[in-house]
Amino acid sequence: MHYESDELKPKLLWIQGVTCNGNTHSFFNLSYLPQLLAKYEIIYHPSLEGTYSFEDISKCVGGCDVLIFEGSFDPLMKRNDVLVSTVLLHFSKSAKYVIALGSCASFGGMLKACAPERNSGLIFNESTLQGPLISMQDKIINLSGCPIHPEWLGYTLSMIANDQRVHTDELHRPLELYSHLAHHGCARNEYFEWKVDAKAFGLKEGCLFYVQGCRGPMTHAICNKVLWNEVSSKTRSGTPCFGCTEPDFPRTHLFQTKTNMSIPEDVPLGVPKRSYLTLSGIAKTFHIKRLEEKLFDNKTTD
Amino acid sequence: MITKQLIDQIEGEASIYFEMKKDKVDFATIAFPHFRGMESILKAKPALDALVITPRVCGICGHAHLMASVRAIESAYANANKSVHLSAKAENIRELTLVLEMIQNHFKWIYLVIMPELAKLTNSKRTLTPLKGAYAASIATKALALFAGQWPHSSYMLPGGVTCDVTHLERIKAQGYIDELIAFFQKESFGIDLETFLSYTSCGELATLNSDIGCIEKELIQMGMHQKGFAHDRYISMGEHRFTTKAKVSQTRHSSIDDKYVTTENAFCPSATSFAKNALYKDSYYETGPLARAMASNISMIKNIHRRYKDSAYSRVIARIYETAQLLDHAKTLVSNLSLDDDSLSTPLPIEEISSHGVGIVEAPRGPLMHRISIRQGLIQEYEIITPTQWNIGSSSYQNPTPAQKAMTGARSKEEALFIFRSFDVCSVCTTH
Repeated sequence: MHYESDELKPKLLWIQGVTCNGNTHSFFNLSYLPQLLAKYEIIYHPSLEGTYSFEDISKCVGGCDVLIFEGSFDPLMKRNDVLVSTVLLHFSKSAKYVIALGSCASFGGMLKACAPERNSGLIFNESTLQGPLISMQDKIINLSGCPIHPEWLGYTLSMIANDQRVHTDELHRPLELYSHLAHHGCARNEYFEWKVDAKAFGLKEGCLFYVQGCRGPMTHAICNKVLWNEVSSKTRSGTPCFGCTEPDFPRTHLFQTKTNMSIPEDVPLGVPKRSYLTLSGIAKTFHIKRLEEKLFDNKTTD
Repeated sequence: MITKQLIDQIEGEASIYFEMKKDKVDFATIAFPHFRGMESILKAKPALDALVITPRVCGICGHAHLMASVRAIESAYANANKSVHLSAKAENIRELTLVLEMIQNHFKWIYLVIMPELAKLTNSKRTLTPLKGAYAASIATKALALFAGQWPHSSYMLPGGVTCDVTHLERIKAQGYIDELIAFFQKESFGIDLETFLSYTSCGELATLNSDIGCIEKELIQMGMHQKGFAHDRYISMGEHRFTTKAKVSQTRHSSIDDKYVTTENAFCPSATSFAKNALYKDSYYETGPLARAMASNISMIKNIHRRYKDSAYSRVIARIYETAQLLDHAKTLVSNLSLDDDSLSTPLPIEEISSHGVGIVEAPRGPLMHRISIRQGLIQEYEIITPTQWNIGSSSYQNPTPAQKAMTGARSKEEALFIFRSFDVCSVCTTH
């Protein structure tokens, strides 16, 4: 593509299904937002000035190059008295890429529960291939996450603007963003290695996987490599990963690890349960003093 | 004749149905067409899961939902005679991150809503700078994320405290971001330093500013916004924090409040289906948000404006800008004095042992946000959410208008009425949660 002049910039359209606007606001945190937006002509955005109003867009005339859909897809939902599905189907025809933004648009997500019998993502209903754009799944890029990290969308839109191919996994998520696990780069990794659990919430010491419900070792996300708001992540601030990039989000009992005879029911992705149990059984016998104590006491720094 | 106007860029969508008489707005009803049913999603879920679900009511003020939710659960513990202890550190960190979310909201409103809308209204050719708002908001949320892990959609508050175990490293870095934000505000928004701005006691001083805020002030006067957009001159502020006062105010008379008198009713909008509910206190409508908080806290600058211009659209807009400065100053104080000696969290009894009910109220960017929960053996039985926009942007009858309806009545054009509507800072997704 390599667009130079204004007239040739790719046309970006951003529309919403059943949403909380969380992806819109997360995207606003992107450090290179002005430079990225300059590469596109925004024909409509729910919070930014665009070339057209939603009234114009809902007439379903013309097309776009990149379509972003934020929110869960509800086949009965209307905006400006027009079915969102009509607008979505019209513009997705001309679009070279359709980005399902956030877990709601990717898999149904949190807001699938508003109408569980009919809401879904664009091509997946949780992990089942089903949705309004199933016939054009080749052009769908799923950016799951609740919400998306701004750099995930920044990366995708930059790649598209530069005419570079975005390689995706079987759930249509970009490989560069969803091959890592949320566990990678977690500041608590050493506690995980030696199976030292956090004694309670509110401590920087200990792993949150054994008791506090952390899904980091089972969740495809780059949160501990590309930090949130460029400074932190859930696990770094003592909150368990809730697995928000996966098709089964939201699960229940989110602050609690499901265990069988005090062994986590789900073990790290791809690791045979028996191997995991052998290893953790041995590690637990070590009682490493350094890892069982506080790293330091805040009071001593005053 | 009734004419419909679609409104977007209000965190979702609404429709206003105008009845014009002699080229003036005689009456307007408001419909919010989208409904998600967050309260029913919460039913039968483990109570702590509310701390992950309710922030997802809203992408711009989800942190306020998190805090209302954790306060509601803590209130349920207290009502079961199992009070949860909160350390001063946990309280201070919670207040700091709540305030930082309000600051990001106000910056976005100033630059993404008010400045572009005023330019349209005044036919001004000035260059629009909406991304200034996004930039400032992103600095506020960096400081927030140092404690909360991320923004939006953090779940770092739990009954008994906060999950983060921050050190002075994070505190100092947050202080740096807050200073950067204050510097931005001084240079880009005010044109003067924060301390001087906060020492102002009269709006006459605003007119002298050669800056974005000065431009907003001039254009508001140019459009006569000091003489229109009047609501009921009744205010309510309900959240307990150090930056505001819990009270209701009628004109300038203060009185105490009890949250048990807060009720809701279905919105009245004969032209369309609306899923909104109006919020009331003892069967009356009240305005909420920065103007209400300033009236409740007797902020001299805003009281001065109120003496001249009552609860006009001008007063409403300036109150939000003034509050941004006040909150920046409060955030700076909080972060500078944050003692890290206390525990971040004191673990309460397991939630499964709690069968009780509770109320959590916080001041969100747009006013009081109330969560009511009833818990049985750790599971949610009932959950009710009442949001600030339900107070401000209710829709009722001609005889008994809500604040927004009353404020739009008499506007000389639909465009003028729409600006007045936006002066409340509307959140559609919160309204029909």
